Amino acid sequence: MKKLNVIFLLLSFLLSVGSCTKEFDGMNTNPNDPTSISPQYLLPYALEASIDRYWGVRTRFERLNLDGAMCWMQYLTRNIYSNEGDNYEVSVGFYTNNWKGFFNDSQVNFQRIIALAGPGGRYENSNYEGIALVMRSWVFSVLTDVYGPIPYTQALKGTAAEPVYAPAYDSMETIYAGLLDDLKTANQKLTVSGPAVSGDILYNGDILKWKKFANSLRLRLANRQAVKKPTESRAIMAEILADPTTFPLFTSNADNATLQNTNVLPSNNEWNQVMVQDGRTDWNISKTLADKLNALGDTRIRVYAQPNKAGNYEGHPNGLPDAVATEYLGRSSVLGTYFIQTTTPSFVMTFAELNFILAEAAVDGDISGNAQTYFEKGITASFESYGLKVPEGYLTTVGTATKEKVMEQKWIALFGEAIESWTEYRRTGLPVLPAKDPRAVFANDGVLPTRLKYPNSEYSLNQANVQQALPMIGGSDDMKAKLWWAEK
Amino acid sequence: MRKKLLVWLLASCLPVTLAIAQSRTMTGVVLSEEKDPLPGVNVVIQGSQVGTTTDTQGKFSLTIPGDNARLIISSIGFLTEEIAVGNRTALTLTMKSDVKSLSEVVVTAFGVQKEVKSLGYGVQEIKGQQLTEARSSNVVNALSGKVAGLRVSSNGGPGSGSTIQIRGSSSVSGNNQPLIVIDGVPIQQSFDKSYGSGISQVNPDNIKEMSVLKGPNAAALYGSRAANGVIIITTKNGAGTKGIGVELNSNLTFERPWIKPRFQNSYGGGSGYRTWYNDGWSGAITDPLEIEQYRAAYGPNAPLTGTEGTDESWGAPMDGRLVRQWWTGKDVAPLVPSPNNWEDFWQTGRTVTNTVAVSGGNDKGNFRLSVGRLDQKGIMYFNDYYRNNFKFNSGYSFTNQFSATISAEYVKDGGSRSYGSGQEFIWSHRQNDWTKLRNWRDYTGIHIQRQVAGRPADSDPPNWQHTFFTNPYYSAERLPATNEKDRLVGNIALSYKILPSLNLMVRSGTDVWTDTRININNFERVRNGNRTPGAYSEEVLRRQETNHDAILTFNKAIDTDFTVNVQAGGILRTNYYKRNYFSAGELVVDGLYNAANTNPSRNSIASRIEKSQVNSVFASAEVGYKNALFLNATARNDWSSTLPADNRSYFYPSVSASAVVTDLLNVQSPVLSFGKVRASWAQVGNDALPYQLLQTAVAGTSWNGSTPEFYENTQIANSFLKPEITTGTELGIDMRFLRGRLGLDLTYYRQVSRDQILAVEISKAAGYNSRILNAGEITNKGIEIVLTGTPVRLASGFSWETTLNFSRNRNKVVALAEGLTTYVLASRQGLNTEARVGQPYGTFFGTGFEHAPDGQIIYGVNGLPVVSSTPRVLGNIQPNWTGGWLNALSFKGFSVSALIDVRMGGNLFDEGTGTARWTGQYEETAVGREEGVIGKGVVNVGTTENPQYVPNTVIVPAKTFYGYNNPRSYHEAAIFDASYVKLREATIGYQLPAALLSRVKIRSAKLSLVGRNLLMLFRNDPHIDPEVDRFGANQQGFAYGELPSSRSIGANLSLSF
Repeated sequence: MKKLNVIFLLLSFLLSVGSCTKEFDGMNTNPNDPTSISPQYLLPYALEASIDRYWGVRTRFERLNLDGAMCWMQYLTRNIYSNEGDNYEVSVGFYTNNWKGFFNDSQVNFQRIIALAGPGGRYENSNYEGIALVMRSWVFSVLTDVYGPIPYTQALKGTAAEPVYAPAYDSMETIYAGLLDDLKTANQKLTVSGPAVSGDILYNGDILKWKKFANSLRLRLANRQAVKKPTESRAIMAEILADPTTFPLFTSNADNATLQNTNVLPSNNEWNQVMVQDGRTDWNISKTLADKLNALGDTRIRVYAQPNKAGNYEGHPNGLPDAVATEYLGRSSVLGTYFIQTTTPSFVMTFAELNFILAEAAVDGDISGNAQTYFEKGITASFESYGLKVPEGYLTTVGTATKEKVMEQKWIALFGEAIESWTEYRRTGLPVLPAKDPRAVFANDGVLPTRLKYPNSEYSLNQANVQQALPMIGGSDDMKAKLWWAEK
Repeated sequence: MRKKLLVWLLASCLPVTLAIAQSRTMTGVVLSEEKDPLPGVNVVIQGSQVGTTTDTQGKFSLTIPGDNARLIISSIGFLTEEIAVGNRTALTLTMKSDVKSLSEVVVTAFGVQKEVKSLGYGVQEIKGQQLTEARSSNVVNALSGKVAGLRVSSNGGPGSGSTIQIRGSSSVSGNNQPLIVIDGVPIQQSFDKSYGSGISQVNPDNIKEMSVLKGPNAAALYGSRAANGVIIITTKNGAGTKGIGVELNSNLTFERPWIKPRFQNSYGGGSGYRTWYNDGWSGAITDPLEIEQYRAAYGPNAPLTGTEGTDESWGAPMDGRLVRQWWTGKDVAPLVPSPNNWEDFWQTGRTVTNTVAVSGGNDKGNFRLSVGRLDQKGIMYFNDYYRNNFKFNSGYSFTNQFSATISAEYVKDGGSRSYGSGQEFIWSHRQNDWTKLRNWRDYTGIHIQRQVAGRPADSDPPNWQHTFFTNPYYSAERLPATNEKDRLVGNIALSYKILPSLNLMVRSGTDVWTDTRININNFERVRNGNRTPGAYSEEVLRRQETNHDAILTFNKAIDTDFTVNVQAGGILRTNYYKRNYFSAGELVVDGLYNAANTNPSRNSIASRIEKSQVNSVFASAEVGYKNALFLNATARNDWSSTLPADNRSYFYPSVSASAVVTDLLNVQSPVLSFGKVRASWAQVGNDALPYQLLQTAVAGTSWNGSTPEFYENTQIANSFLKPEITTGTELGIDMRFLRGRLGLDLTYYRQVSRDQILAVEISKAAGYNSRILNAGEITNKGIEIVLTGTPVRLASGFSWETTLNFSRNRNKVVALAEGLTTYVLASRQGLNTEARVGQPYGTFFGTGFEHAPDGQIIYGVNGLPVVSSTPRVLGNIQPNWTGGWLNALSFKGFSVSALIDVRMGGNLFDEGTGTARWTGQYEETAVGREEGVIGKGVVNVGTTENPQYVPNTVIVPAKTFYGYNNPRSYHEAAIFDASYVKLREATIGYQLPAALLSRVKIRSAKLSLVGRNLLMLFRNDPHIDPEVDRFGANQQGFAYGELPSSRSIGANLSLSF
């Protein structure tokens, strides 16, 4: 019977082993990644991710700015592979991965900061909340300006108490209204004497500058929708301009929203990464930009471009097929050395742009200020931001601040910030770009892209909602549909 | 349930215990005609219920009442023997095979050997010799075409891993790799294309046999990881060896790249009908001499720029005109084709394998010690692999009751395997002469490099261009990805015979490996005037899986009609993973790869630990009646640490039955010799990966080397996870005709996987990429047919044996979760492979062209294909069916065998072919370069509502036309049929006559000539071998410049003394 006892013991041992799971909870606690973290660590990541993607996402075939907007707005042109954007052809990854990048790399982290730092959050701090709200609004504005209607009210709710995994799309009108409200809220949340913030790689914790950025951005969006919603937009502009204490705006280039890149890779300027570290030589200065600046005697060309072998600033036309474009390799100017340094800042919004916004609003009669003053302040600020002085007689050459002049100067000043420039072009049709070169071959039926197509992933994963968005852009998801704020 | 089992066990044991009273013990060993020990033979004392079964060494020990006793010795597949014991105390017995019956004994779950006859599910077995002759360095590649329902996608690189798939994909997200069990203990099997893992490290010379348990029915007892089937490897252990035996096996094979793409050899590299090397970059021609040379080749109007910055072949006709090339310096040389440059690019690979094994045995124990060495030189230069296998197996019986076995293997392998795929024939200049590029050192003096004013001169090694590429031979030599891996796999098992019919085994086994991978990313150099530093990364991985198990086995013939086999046991499994990663972005002194020799601000580090544990108890019972009817039931319960406390415990049962109809109905037919039907139903549960329950933040790279960054994990965690359950139903028929000359095995199965734990992709606008959840239902249905036959068997000794296998799997995604219709498996260039509800797993979803109702491509009035505005389904990765046909002829000492391997249907996204058409590499792109091309298809001359299609007649420039093969924008252009029919392997062997050998004291000697991948009999992909797999596992169906599969031819010599 001893043997039987052994069996008994063994079996009961087995059963007890099987169900002994006391240590399992501890074992399954992630020893690698924190389950909660202070906003100070999320903030620099989200700032870097969003600004890098806007300014110069480095991955080939998804360079929204360098291969898309910079070429479409004819600042740059390609000397090879014009089908990577320059000729209006874009790969599927171009419109799929930028969407993903903005939502998954930046927006979700700003959203998390708002949850952590908002009222009742684990790290309650109205300044983190305000900063995240400003940045979230800016990224949403970029997304809607690039794609058109996008998920907004239901977006970013993947881990909300009532999660939404397939968010519905909102009209641009709804999104703009929301963003304008959010920016006002952000300005209220941001308190100069409030709690300190860390990890702020944009303004180094200077809350006043964040307030200025919030209000300047709000002014940008109000101006953008001014033709579509004149009453609301004028009220917003008036509210801001009437009370500079409550609603401070950029007052000099020192307030510019620019990310100061560094020598330490990968915190370097993305354009440095693409053109120096990765050795790409695919771009030249566009003929459109070179001709315009040469004609104006605009010394900013010395910053934007390097002289060619003959010592001139020359460009070549956009959209040339490779066999033709390569001819210009040795002849056209290349991008100025300033823009390919490791430490060149990435521009998000500048004092110059704010002045052009105000100049346009004054020209349009949306505000009561003097258009010419804003106009000239804008030009001056743009020159000064590159350490240049406005050349003698330049302001005379440029002349009176008409809408065309304002938009043209704004286009010149927005060099680098081509997505904003592209948006303004799509809104106003300005500046007037030259007729296409007869040798150029454009895709998209020759139409300068008006938006990006919705990503394939939305058709896979959010099909019902993306289909419902199509009527808002005229029924067909292409790069030819005009967006809501288009004035012509 | 468990208590009842226990009571029943006890009740059964009791009478036996009493019977021990007055008697003597006798021992015996039962052998086959080939003198191999026969395990599992029933030995029963006639007229009593006393009996036992033989152990793995064919031995038994039995208490007999007296000298008059007679033993009935029976085993399936053998003629039953009846023997008078007399006064003998020891007995050696040889059993004769019963040819009309199934004689196979196969290894099933937990290493239990069972007669095929008794199994209620399909198992296929491969003997060791079939794996060692026409060998591949990864033994699993030898299974391709031999096992119905098993599909292997190999990758060809030295020591590479292969994707193994049994009966389609049951899991949407997991790795879908079968569980690999060696000598009863699981080893870690994961797919790793470059480095291989698990089964790729096994030395085939040590394998006695491999059993493939297909699907949950066969594998229910293995639990969690068995849903994708199990490959059980039993290694040779020396049992049955008389005295000391020595085996030697030597194998030498040579490999050449196999399927060559069809290239054009008319136009050189560059663009605009010009081919000219200037300084390695797209740059202006300014030197007066160069201008003169250039004008002589291209006339006065051609633009003064080099074309080598364009890495395409839309250049000048290769008509012998004098042009500057990368190797000509300031001179010019005729531009001529290099039609054999593909062959020149590769070297002849070579694999040498030697194994020596010493084995021995006596009535107390056995051992086998083997040392194996494999040296492989890849077909890409500077790519190699080595593997040392040291294996020791031993068993010893201390007493009649107590025995121990040990199985241990130490494997050391590694090498330099940086080349997995390349773009040398996709983005390239057709005139490139790779022998010159390989001898780049000869050209460093004359090779012209770029010099940017005010910057250091370029210092790249000579190459045909510098904008995008570095000389691949320089990279392979100077930028290797090396690894060194140590692996120890072993187990110790103690077995105690509590009663003659009751055995307890306690076993502890572990599989632990550590791998150090050093990957050199860059060397210090100047490119386009910019200096970049040397860079490297170092990764140390450690993984361990440990299994402790205890199994009670009760095995008894109740009387001559009934046999009972019951097992119960518990298993405790732990898994451990550790990763240490260090990446240096800037070396101080180039070429010295040490963490201290770096600029700290450019360093990044990462580390990770994962731990998990599963506790299990299980039981299995089999009842046999008259050796003809078998019922089997199993039950298992797991507790997994990776699931939430409430859902941690999960139970899953299985039942199966097998009936040998011919025996039960006593069919005595000259035609039907044997017939069996089988049926089974089984469930297998599966747990999650560790740490999927709580939302986390993940560390990013610091800003400016000083401000730490974290980001939200974009995979949404789920604290309510449940285990996933796969249910399998299987029916089968096994029939033998004409005294075993012809056999048919037919299986139908249906597997349903529910509540799969998936990281389901969601709309990115939700802020996240995916969420972990229990989702969906996937079904796999299929049939497997194995037809075996001996069409010819002559008295002279000539025989022809043939085996035909066929399998067809139908896979369907029935449901996902909560309104989800799509699960994305893999994504490349915006093209997804997806699990879409209502479609088979692995659907290609992407951008295609518009097609007319008859399937023709619709062209626009501009002569170019009309691209669909929204993405759609373009194909599927799953084959329609797979099969194999194995033929073996033998005559006296000669044997010849050939295996044909078939895969029919299914698609792949061959981005390489699409791109190489776009870049002007392939044959078809040479057509119409001067005069233009008319795309084959139709134009709609009617309206959208009332289309009217007429043939397209618009001429477009060739480059524009072939640009529509660009797989980044037009996915459909790169979707190809992945069917193939291959002569997979062939061998010719000669077994030297024993008479000759005995004089030199050699027991046996066999020399074989072997070949793999000998003939491509059929394929639809125009340029490559469609058996390619860029990402493997669940991300099948993608290819882009993969290392070509290779044809290998060699010889194998095996000797035993």
